[in-house]
Amino acid sequence: MIPALEARSLSLVRDGTTVLEDVSFTVAPGEIYALLGGNGAGKSTTLLTFLGFLAPSCGSVLVNGRAVAEDVDGARSAIAYLPEAASLYGHLDAYENLGYFLDLAARKVSRAAMDEALDQVALPREARGRRMQSYSKGMRQKTAIALALLRDTPILLLDEPTSGLDPVAIDEFHDMLKGLADAGRSVLMVTHDVYGACQVADRVGLLRGGRLVGSFEAAAGERIDTETVHAAFAAREAA
Amino acid sequence: MTALLREARFMLRDRGAMVWIALALLLSAAATGFGIAEVRDQRATIAVLLEEDAKDRANAISKYDAWGDAAYDAFHLTYAPPSKLAFAALGQRDTAPWLHRVRMLALEGQIHEADTRNADFGLIGRFDFAFLAATVAPLLLILLLHDLRAGERVAGRHDLLVATAGRALRLWLPRAGMRFAALALALLLPFWAGALVEGAPALQVLAASGLVLGALLVWWLIVEAVGRRPGTPAALLAALVGIWLALALILPAVAKTAIEASHPVPDGAEILMLQREAVNDAWDKPKAATMEPFLARHPEWRAHGTVDKPFEWKWYYAFQQVGDMQAEPIVRAYREGRLARDRAAGIAAFLSPASLVERGFERLAGTDTQAMIGYEDRVRAFHAELRAFHYPLLFRDPPYDPLAFEKLPRYQPPR
Amino acid sequence: MSAGLSIAREEWRLWARSRVVLLAGVIVAVLLVVTSALTALRVADEAEARAARQASAEATFLAQPDRHPHRMVHYGHYAFRTPPPLAAFDPGVDAVTGQSIFLEGHRQNTAMFADARAGADLGGFAGLTPANIYQLLLPLLLIIIGHGVLLRERESGTLAVLLAQGQSALTLAGGKALALAGVVGAFLLPVTALAAYGAARGEPALTAALMVAGYGLYLAVWAALILAVSLWVRQRSVALGVLIFVWLLTALVVPRLGINAGSAAIDAPGKIESDLVMLAEQRKLGDGHNAADPAFAALQKQVLEQYGAEKVEELPMNWRGVVAGYSEKKLTDLMNQYAEKRMAQEAEQSRIVTLFGFASPTLAVGAASRTLAGTDLATHHRFLREAEALRFDFVQGLNDLHATKLTFADDAKRSADPEAEKRTRVNAAAWRLLDDFRFVPDPAAARAARAALPLAMLLGWLVLLGGAIVAGARRLRP
Repeated sequence: MIPALEARSLSLVRDGTTVLEDVSFTVAPGEIYALLGGNGAGKSTTLLTFLGFLAPSCGSVLVNGRAVAEDVDGARSAIAYLPEAASLYGHLDAYENLGYFLDLAARKVSRAAMDEALDQVALPREARGRRMQSYSKGMRQKTAIALALLRDTPILLLDEPTSGLDPVAIDEFHDMLKGLADAGRSVLMVTHDVYGACQVADRVGLLRGGRLVGSFEAAAGERIDTETVHAAFAAREAA
Repeated sequence: MTALLREARFMLRDRGAMVWIALALLLSAAATGFGIAEVRDQRATIAVLLEEDAKDRANAISKYDAWGDAAYDAFHLTYAPPSKLAFAALGQRDTAPWLHRVRMLALEGQIHEADTRNADFGLIGRFDFAFLAATVAPLLLILLLHDLRAGERVAGRHDLLVATAGRALRLWLPRAGMRFAALALALLLPFWAGALVEGAPALQVLAASGLVLGALLVWWLIVEAVGRRPGTPAALLAALVGIWLALALILPAVAKTAIEASHPVPDGAEILMLQREAVNDAWDKPKAATMEPFLARHPEWRAHGTVDKPFEWKWYYAFQQVGDMQAEPIVRAYREGRLARDRAAGIAAFLSPASLVERGFERLAGTDTQAMIGYEDRVRAFHAELRAFHYPLLFRDPPYDPLAFEKLPRYQPPR
Repeated sequence: MSAGLSIAREEWRLWARSRVVLLAGVIVAVLLVVTSALTALRVADEAEARAARQASAEATFLAQPDRHPHRMVHYGHYAFRTPPPLAAFDPGVDAVTGQSIFLEGHRQNTAMFADARAGADLGGFAGLTPANIYQLLLPLLLIIIGHGVLLRERESGTLAVLLAQGQSALTLAGGKALALAGVVGAFLLPVTALAAYGAARGEPALTAALMVAGYGLYLAVWAALILAVSLWVRQRSVALGVLIFVWLLTALVVPRLGINAGSAAIDAPGKIESDLVMLAEQRKLGDGHNAADPAFAALQKQVLEQYGAEKVEELPMNWRGVVAGYSEKKLTDLMNQYAEKRMAQEAEQSRIVTLFGFASPTLAVGAASRTLAGTDLATHHRFLREAEALRFDFVQGLNDLHATKLTFADDAKRSADPEAEKRTRVNAAAWRLLDDFRFVPDPAAARAARAALPLAMLLGWLVLLGGAIVAGARRLRP
């Protein structure tokens, strides 16, 4: 089976600094993969290479089996991307924002479908017609997640998706991700939240100083053990 | 198409952008309105003067019984009416005269007379459409487009937008294009309305619109080239304002100084002094000193060229012309010098889109240096006609008959 | 106070390290120095050349041979307007009006050959002068340097830290104001140097000092605006946009709209137009060359009665000269009436333009600067009046000679009789009736008084913006 996402010996040098070095992993269709790491580990950078914003200095990244460098357009159209602390337009309301971005992705979506997605992320109905500059951080994040859902793409790239969400919302979000994976979507999320990653991911990769230094997989029918990963994370960070 | 519609809707909700576009519309309407008021005022002035001028001439002629006296006192109005496009670019009409009343005396003493307007006007300058399009519009475009990318980057939306749109072309081009189109339309709509009211020729309006769009396009490319660079919106705006300042203000000023230094024109006061001295000295010189050079130029009057009395009108007008003749070399140098400066300015203008637009407008509107020198040339030609009409009367001196003046040449402005 | 000073010092250090600030500063400084040097040299040259021309015109007049005095009336004379010392900083209307007038009998000529008419046309802006750079470019430079003065702290989060430390917002604003004032002070060095140069060339200290103060006030208005916007706006890019917008309006748009408004509100006819209207009245006055013109019948009757004579031939003086003097007087009254009307209309237009200074400090400082330099419209008008007085004096002096030194019989025959013509020539020694003419600017106090209104406008702006700064500082939150 062709992996949805694949990094092959990915290395990246920016302004003379090595940001990623020999990183390899795959994300299969229907799989949730979490890249875990501290500040400056190279997590977000990895996402940006899949979107074609950064070109690998060595190695390659593939989306649905095609090198991103050869078909940036194709890669982007297969991916819904949720940037870190995503902010949509403050002078537009939630519907207008969703409408604008979906139109940009050449998708026509009805108001009912928008409401459905916004219900899924539990954005209060009375807030949806208000300009987003009045939203809290969590509400902005929810709207951005709804946008990623409405893109209806086979792949989701999520950068710290749960930042700004309260614990209840995080649980609901995790359930939603699992539902999406069950429906065949592939998810690559980066986070520094060990607990959250172990909760939701099928596999966890540990990134440190631009190198993939560990990989954890759940036994069938179980979750990844948080303690083990946390210990590895802490040990590596201390080293 | 859907991309343009999307960006149009988006722009309509963007209060910042709408402020600049509304301002452009307002300024354009003001510039056009004031321009039309001014050219109408000038046309009305010409119409009134034409009437007054005819009355005054008839009155002057009726008082005399000699050809020389009548010629001395009869003034003739010449004028350069504003073109149908002049409302958009008053150009040199604020500094160079477009009205002269000339008579049979030495022309050089009359043609340099300045029809002075308020000096502050020439100093500060008018707010006409050409100035708006050449100087202010690029700044508005810069304000509209400088943070197209940088603004999204600062807001953390840049990557999301590009990733969503797939290709950058689907996003930035329609977004910038829509703002560009809105600004251009806000500028041009009042201008087109003004052109319609004034009945300006469609081809000229088309050319003028092309000039505005072309220059704005150049500015767009500049903004695009700078706006792509990483940097905060403030840093990009500062850089762009610097470029605008250099291209629209400093470069033209430096070029102007350099051109004027490298293309000297004779001091105009010299023309006057030379001509005055020549005319005044003639009174004291032997009559032959005047008549010889005059007859060399006009051999056809040699048979009537002797002057016996201390004062004869034909001698009087002959020395007026000889005065003009003495000033001819320096007058030519003055004219050529101004044309040379204008040619050099025309070349230098390619360095600055702002200069190019203003000069282009003045050219189309017939308010440039060449047009004003062209008017001077027509006044000279008309004055030559006046002389050709009067000389037979003065030299042959037939019995005085005021009816002869019905055939006086009339000044015809160019169609 | 020391807290304010240390805040300012921190800001100065930051600017001194910024490449953008240094580059922009160097470019403007070079431009300013070159323009100042060029303008000062040119104006000094012009002043010398015009003074020399004035002297040579007088010498040529005196060197004329024996002549009929009326010939000297037509020979004429020139008046030159020599630029005052501060014109090296602000040449003002000089380039637009022309600097010399030909003076002759029966006519008021206009000042001729303005440089602007023969200039290379490259569009909207007149050539660069130090005054232009001060009015247009320095505010822009100040904006580029200072727009982030407080927002920088906000964007980097240090504003919250400073306020949390118990630093009062007013002290903070005061420190930033001091920082900007330091830049304004540095900007004032070139104008101070030029004013000192002017003072060394004979400019009174009052106007030279007021010139520096006026530009200090102007730049202070901009500094205050920058600080106020920095306090009231939350984003650096928005602040820069707002400031450039204000600059665009006040420096480029409003002054020109003021011109449009002045010209639309008051229809001041051009000289050719008003001359034509005047000519109709002038023809009623009679032709001074023709003593038999019926227009002089009343005068003739009165003079004959006064001298108890039957005919003009019996009068003890030359009747033709009497008529020439009388008609010149009448004509001059008429011409002055029209000239005064035209100048009054122009002054009124300029007053309207100056009132736009309430909306544009650039316009206000321009008006103050030209007035103080003695290169404003009012000074030009005074030049026109003084030149006219000079004209009238020498023409009437010559007409007096015409009436007293010539006999009526000779004068009447001179066109036909060469001997009589010779007797109508007056000895050239008489030409010494011509007065020396040296145009000097208004006294310093008069110029200062005229500049008071625009300077007060600037002060008003400064007070207004000061209020906005204090109010903005009071509501300052991280």
